[in-house]
Amino acid sequence: MNAKHSEAAARFIQNRALEEWHNETLFLVRKKRDSQAITLPEWEQLRQLASQIKMHTITHLDKYLEQFALRAEANGAIVHWAKDAREHNEIIHALLRERQVGKLVKSKSMLTEECHLNPYLISKGIEVVESDLGERILQLMNKPPSHIVMPAIHIKRQEVGKLFEEKLHTEKGNSHPDYLAHAARLHLRNEFLTAAAALTGANFGVAATGDVVVCTNEGNADMGTSFPKLHIVSMGIEKVTPDYQALSVFIRLLARSATGQPATAYTSHYRKPRKGCEMHIILVDNGRSDIIGNPDHIQALKCIRCAACMNTCPVYRRSGGYSYTYFIPGPIGINLGMLKSPGEYAGNVSACSLCYSCNNVCPAQIDLADQIYKWRQQLDSLGKADRTKKLISGGLKYIFTRPGLYNTALRLAPIINKSPRFLIYNNLDAWGKGRELPAFAKESFTQMWKKGKIKQHP
Amino acid sequence: MSTKNDILSNIRRHTGQTYDMPVIEPAAIQYPDAVARFAEVIKSVGGSAIELQEGEDINERIISLYPEAATIASNLPGIRIATINPDEVETPHQLNGTALAVVQGEVGVAENGCVWIPQNVKEKAVYFIAEYLIILLDKNKIVSNMHEAYRKIRFNDNGFGVFISGPSKTADIEQALVVGAHGAKGVVVLLTT
Repeated sequence: MNAKHSEAAARFIQNRALEEWHNETLFLVRKKRDSQAITLPEWEQLRQLASQIKMHTITHLDKYLEQFALRAEANGAIVHWAKDAREHNEIIHALLRERQVGKLVKSKSMLTEECHLNPYLISKGIEVVESDLGERILQLMNKPPSHIVMPAIHIKRQEVGKLFEEKLHTEKGNSHPDYLAHAARLHLRNEFLTAAAALTGANFGVAATGDVVVCTNEGNADMGTSFPKLHIVSMGIEKVTPDYQALSVFIRLLARSATGQPATAYTSHYRKPRKGCEMHIILVDNGRSDIIGNPDHIQALKCIRCAACMNTCPVYRRSGGYSYTYFIPGPIGINLGMLKSPGEYAGNVSACSLCYSCNNVCPAQIDLADQIYKWRQQLDSLGKADRTKKLISGGLKYIFTRPGLYNTALRLAPIINKSPRFLIYNNLDAWGKGRELPAFAKESFTQMWKKGKIKQHP
Repeated sequence: MSTKNDILSNIRRHTGQTYDMPVIEPAAIQYPDAVARFAEVIKSVGGSAIELQEGEDINERIISLYPEAATIASNLPGIRIATINPDEVETPHQLNGTALAVVQGEVGVAENGCVWIPQNVKEKAVYFIAEYLIILLDKNKIVSNMHEAYRKIRFNDNGFGVFISGPSKTADIEQALVVGAHGAKGVVVLLTT
């Protein structure tokens, strides 16, 4: 699929009220992030440290992964290595099959989305229950997340109310968030108590101690792992961090950047399996080790999945997660998609105004907008350049390199002011959709300068 | 084993320029009154911090906070009002239905309201399954920021520990804040000396 972002976005903005709400709500989250950041005078220093720690870790990843695996195994966990999504899914299925697990309860993991784990396990006859409220809503709706931290941000309460009426037998017409969240608490409580295995992602893996660190607000990862005999952790290899002092930098940045909270309600450290239980950690590469060798895009590996870049992005806020073809939307998703498969995901690189707001909020100082710019320069060689834009660029280059022609064109430009609308605003002119062209001045700056009409301030 | 070697050798083959580990000594915030700041932040995240007065009985205080709690889980020696000892349950499932859990915290963090709780009960479920949670914390163990906290935290043999900052919450339906997602619906940190 290579649908253009603009075409999908046009569908999203047909619902003006939802678009407006989506835009304002996410910008509110961005502002909450700002109000947290200003409480710490060392905020910018923390961002710089985070970036430096990540660059160090990524470029010494073999050492830290070996150390992490060694420590985790000394603590009693079992470490598996998966080259790609297929290996990851097969390892999990084998673990579940060997223990005859019928039901797996999951907390939120973008990596398992990346690996398409749920459909794989379901096809093998395993019941998979998402336990994050947003993820559960979407799972029951059979829809993918549209945001990596607030997965159901595009769904209205009435839709959730209707869904729960049908699936959880809640009161008819009651769509109050308190009521619905409480219904979900009761429903998922039962799932936690009856699942035979739990799967969590990992926000961080600490090399010095072997800890897996998981941050949630709901406590769903904690409830999930408190009852069954088996805990499986899916962890991308870039999630390893050297030690607790490095971790403290990321923990201080993560929740503040993500939701504007000083910390998530739960920051859980899984060091050993529960007594008499098993803990399996799957370290997943799935293309990450190749990115280390890509100097233009290596910084994508610094990402801690906070979604601050999405919340601040004017294009994301007004077009929604489904307008992007990669499962992670927004600035980081544009880049990760291109690293996964440029042919498939090139349509997303136009979803950027190069305003650079993402660079300025990213807690790990990823050069997100610079990377998007670089991808755009490669579109032609990938055979993905927009033909209309290419034609216009070629034409403009011809004019800009010929001063005589340029001046003539400029002198004639005011004609457009009096041209009929259908000549200016038509399907060939994407710019003119939804906005008005400013009037061309009668005289160009050069003409005014030559006539002495420009006064210089002393 | 071969997958591990493949991944590690691919990492080594692709690693070009390397970067040094920075010195992690940011000019981290220090609060003149860390206890007051801790209480303020806990409140902002939906919990509360209450100082136990000198000579005040902790059990009576807990009863006055949660007079209707029918089942109280605690393994702490001073908590006479406990109705369940979480160290004596056969399975964690038996803790379902706990109205209130009283647990011991070890380090408090003023900047974000976190309290470090190393698992010091048989089943960690007790920290999450109770409807309401009381965390006892020595107020002299409150530090200003997470860098200090991470230098102080310890694990015991159970190999699990958690920072808890206020009650469980979700905003997954239209960003409307709902307190009490899966874990405690209310958290009180009782500050002792």
